[in-house]
Amino acid sequence: MQDTKVTDAPPIGFADITDALSTQGRVIWALILRETKTRYGEHKIGFLWAIIEPLIMVAVFVGIFASIRSDSPGGMPLVLFMLVGIVPFHLFRDTMGQMQGGIAQNRSLFAFPQVTTFDVIIARGLLEIFILGGVFMMLLVGMDLAGFEVRVERPLGVLAACGLLSLMGIGTGFVFASISPILPSIRQLSSAVLGRPLFLGSGIFFIAESVPAPVREYMLYNPLMHILELLRSAFFYEFESAYGDWGYATTWAVCTFAFGLLVHQAMRRKAIIGL
Amino acid sequence: MIKLVNVNKRYRTSAGVNTVLDNVNVTFPVGKSVGILGLNGAGKSTLIRIIGDAEPPDSGYVDRTGRVSWPLGYTGGFQGNLTARENARFVARIYGESTKYIEAFTQEFSELGDYFDVPLRSYSAGMRSRFAFSVSLACNFDYYLVDEALETGDARYKEKFRLAFEERRATASVILVSHNEQTIRRNCDMAAILHDGQLTLYDELKDALQFYSFLQTRAA
Repeated sequence: MQDTKVTDAPPIGFADITDALSTQGRVIWALILRETKTRYGEHKIGFLWAIIEPLIMVAVFVGIFASIRSDSPGGMPLVLFMLVGIVPFHLFRDTMGQMQGGIAQNRSLFAFPQVTTFDVIIARGLLEIFILGGVFMMLLVGMDLAGFEVRVERPLGVLAACGLLSLMGIGTGFVFASISPILPSIRQLSSAVLGRPLFLGSGIFFIAESVPAPVREYMLYNPLMHILELLRSAFFYEFESAYGDWGYATTWAVCTFAFGLLVHQAMRRKAIIGL
Repeated sequence: MIKLVNVNKRYRTSAGVNTVLDNVNVTFPVGKSVGILGLNGAGKSTLIRIIGDAEPPDSGYVDRTGRVSWPLGYTGGFQGNLTARENARFVARIYGESTKYIEAFTQEFSELGDYFDVPLRSYSAGMRSRFAFSVSLACNFDYYLVDEALETGDARYKEKFRLAFEERRATASVILVSHNEQTIRRNCDMAAILHDGQLTLYDELKDALQFYSFLQTRAA
């Protein structure tokens, strides 16, 4: 009676898979709505802040830049140049930042069997991407109405570059979300090592052309630098980058995404239990 | 029907390996209220989490036919900074139920009044469990998994729940874990005892209770 052989669960059929997918879709949607409530429910000013914060950043950096140099980078109008660097970069940094607390801050949710660690992490990332997409659009329309004349050269290119930034954010987000329940100090690392230096060194405030060649060679190992060059080339009629490489950027983004999913897969059981 | 097949679960603690379930094979019958008794630390909560698929076993599997609730307990899945209404909507969405219906049923059954639109963090333990039970009743599960939580709340309200479960006896079953034999005696038709990694189901409630009091005296 007490045989200790390992028993396999019954096989999984096609109907089980479609069932599981529709449940997962429902759960992710429910989580997105719930995250919206927890983020903005109590303070109505929350969403307004999502628009004001990048505006302040743009104003500050335009101010700094204009006080040092008189010309605009690559012939692009300075205010739009900053906007079309700062907000898309948030797609990487804030998506990563929001996702990394996904497991640790939602542990009670795992009492519901259909809620998986994947769902809570991705829901946070998707919400952040939706919000930033909305903010970006609103700011561009607002700028145009304010007389900045926003004309996009290749909208699909802009979309693709934003997609790559999001993918980088989701990939790194999965890595940190899966590790931080076991090693909480990794979160300082993510902002100190990844967030800030990349904010300064990814070409948000400058273009590759303006960097001395020997330094540029090293800076172009950074895939975010490539994506921002490509993004501005697609956005501005005035600017075409000689350095942005779609192949290099896409390879990095896809590999980062895959790496994030792998780390999550390897860590998820341990991550639920925590320290 | 819920059937545990060769289920194993152990935890590594600083004090060594703790075997919670050692090759457990049990079938929980339909339409019965089954109590699971266990001394403190026997692994009752882990067991009910495994039955409810909130946690995977190390090996073996659990066969479930019918809809199984999440483990109802003191904290059970709700977020303190959301209101009861928002939490109820969330539950409705993840179970694919009508949010309107779940909201209305929960609001009425929980008798929380104005507190229904107040964040859960300002609730007392009794109010929290009232809410948790009301939402789960709204969902019409075939199996209700209960982790100790019947102990909170006032007497009139406990009776209300008991009656609601009683009404559903024909279609719904309850699996309740507790270290308190009074809770089991009042609410269950039969009982199982979790001890030393073994789960033994007794057909007669009194046999289970007798063995449990023996375990208790030995532990003391």
